[in-house]
Amino acid sequence: MDGLEWAVDRLWPRTLSRLTPWLMVLPAILLVGLLVLGLIQIADASLRTLDRSTFLMSDSWSDANYARALSDPVYAKILWRSLSGAVIVTAITLFFAFPYAYLMVRTPRAWLRKLLLIALFLPFFIGQVVRAYGWLIILGNQGIVNDMLGLVGVAPLRLLYNYPAVVFGLVQYMLPFAVLMLAPALTAIPEETEAAAGSLGANWGRTLVHVLLPMARPGLVGAGLVVMTLTLTDFAMPAILGGGSQDFIANAIYDQFFRTSDQGLGSALALMLVGLGSLIVGAIFMLFGAGTLAMGGRSK
Amino acid sequence: MTHSRPRRQLTRRSLLRSTAALGATAAILPSKIWAQEPEKPSELIVRAWGGSWVESLKAGVSDPFTEMTGIRIRHDLTEDNEIQPKIWAAAAQGRVPPIHINWDTTTNATKSALRGVTEDLSDLPNLANATELAKPVGFDGYPMVNTYGYVYVLAYRPEAFPDGPPASWRHLLDPKFKGRIALYNDGIGFHFPAQVAGGGTLADIPSNMTACWDFVEEMKAQEPLLGEDPDFTTWFQNGEIDAACTISTNAREARMNGVDIQWTVPEEGAKFDTDGMWIPVGLPENELYWAKQYINFALTQQAQQVWLDGLGLPGVVPGLTPPADLVDDASYPTQPEDFKNLIRISGQIQVENESEWFSKFKAIMQG
Repeated sequence: MDGLEWAVDRLWPRTLSRLTPWLMVLPAILLVGLLVLGLIQIADASLRTLDRSTFLMSDSWSDANYARALSDPVYAKILWRSLSGAVIVTAITLFFAFPYAYLMVRTPRAWLRKLLLIALFLPFFIGQVVRAYGWLIILGNQGIVNDMLGLVGVAPLRLLYNYPAVVFGLVQYMLPFAVLMLAPALTAIPEETEAAAGSLGANWGRTLVHVLLPMARPGLVGAGLVVMTLTLTDFAMPAILGGGSQDFIANAIYDQFFRTSDQGLGSALALMLVGLGSLIVGAIFMLFGAGTLAMGGRSK
Repeated sequence: MTHSRPRRQLTRRSLLRSTAALGATAAILPSKIWAQEPEKPSELIVRAWGGSWVESLKAGVSDPFTEMTGIRIRHDLTEDNEIQPKIWAAAAQGRVPPIHINWDTTTNATKSALRGVTEDLSDLPNLANATELAKPVGFDGYPMVNTYGYVYVLAYRPEAFPDGPPASWRHLLDPKFKGRIALYNDGIGFHFPAQVAGGGTLADIPSNMTACWDFVEEMKAQEPLLGEDPDFTTWFQNGEIDAACTISTNAREARMNGVDIQWTVPEEGAKFDTDGMWIPVGLPENELYWAKQYINFALTQQAQQVWLDGLGLPGVVPGLTPPADLVDDASYPTQPEDFKNLIRISGQIQVENESEWFSKFKAIMQG
């Protein structure tokens, strides 16, 4: 930042100094502008229908793609599966991420903190697809889990290619994100606060419910938002662990763009996904504030 | 249907006319004659499927072509569905396309041909020697060239069918196969035999496919796995499935990898389809010429024999001999009577109805 200010001092005319803040945010504006341009193009495509005799998009606009997306039961089913999946994955992920993050920031043992950090960051070096394929090996009919079950006389179980398998894969994928979002919020809670609660007679459970969770709310909200939006838009886990019958919205969008070549319907579904995600995020902001995503600003 | 640009077509045709006298031997010309041809590009980019598919193409077509011409062949393994919008966008914006030759399904290629982004291949000399299978159905010319056929067989693990090969697709409805069957995730290959297995007729396609959807509903109760080509081989290898409607090449690959697997064409029939090659519009003239020579070479007996031995699929030129393991195999039709139980529906009907069939299949399977 100092370097940037130094460069501005020398290169930016002093007469324009009141515009300096705008200069600082110019890269961000350009980035967002590019995204908006892309969205405008997608919006334009979503209003054009595909002529299957020429595979060209129509010259005129219509709401046919939106009407189809809203009236076809398969999209309602997929939408519901994506939404419920996002809620379930967020809840389970936060349930596991909280104790992990708490232990990581509170443990007095350096080796344990390092171990937890390594375990946290290791998955980031392995892509989502590779991790999903890893689960295919572990949970497959001839995988490690079924091998172990076989040792105690249990016949192979179908652990893959169903909704629970998708949720499981997503939780495992989202856990590091949630821990990373929660850790700063927990670090900001003074340990003395917990000690004070204990000295006033609160047991561990009451301290958790009445002290820790309320004070960690910004972190929980931030982590929840990140996990929920990432889950809502996920493609790989439903595709790989769902066995083709557990599609999320992103899979339906892919199908329209790349299987049926219907970019209009694909664009309509994509915009509806963006709209839905924005609505959810907006509703959470209104109800709970922006959490740690507010970057230190006051949360509600 | 024509997709050519008149300004360039005259030049291209004149170039091809100049070599027409060389006829079918053009593909095996000595280098000194090639030297009189348009300037050679340093490489041609051919989109291909991975694994044994690209290895076979390399052995049968690409490497010999490089040896003859000195033009390096780069294989682009972008999925066929994913390269399509890139080519379409390049054509719409007047840019040079990202590849020279697209090795594609005939159905996908038909979409591109209908959109007008394919070069006309009618003047390839080796088409004169090719069978009727090479000609795309529903077009006047050759916006693509079919290069071989394949069958969506019923592949199965013999130990799961102790009484012998399943004679009917309906055998898959046996409760013991619940969760042990695989279909393509868009239902491709399964619609037409399902129409027959469901009590309908092929003549009713596409106007009345109720029988097909009834049978798909029955199959849905069996909780089939839905995937793509690589999934089938993996699932067979990992013991996840006992039967699948898949291209025979995938089943053969699994068998070559040591999996005990066989395949059959049930009494209701099995879908027969083709893959082909086409050239996107927008290439520089000399690159277009050499891309055509590549496809022309792919239509020689020499190239087809090696390429398709690797895939285990019947080609489009006479005189090919099937691989030893596929002699008299239902997935390798060579005589007219071999096609009796195979279902072939025109690419245009498939293209026009694909989206609706896909949506219906998805609606059932995602429900």
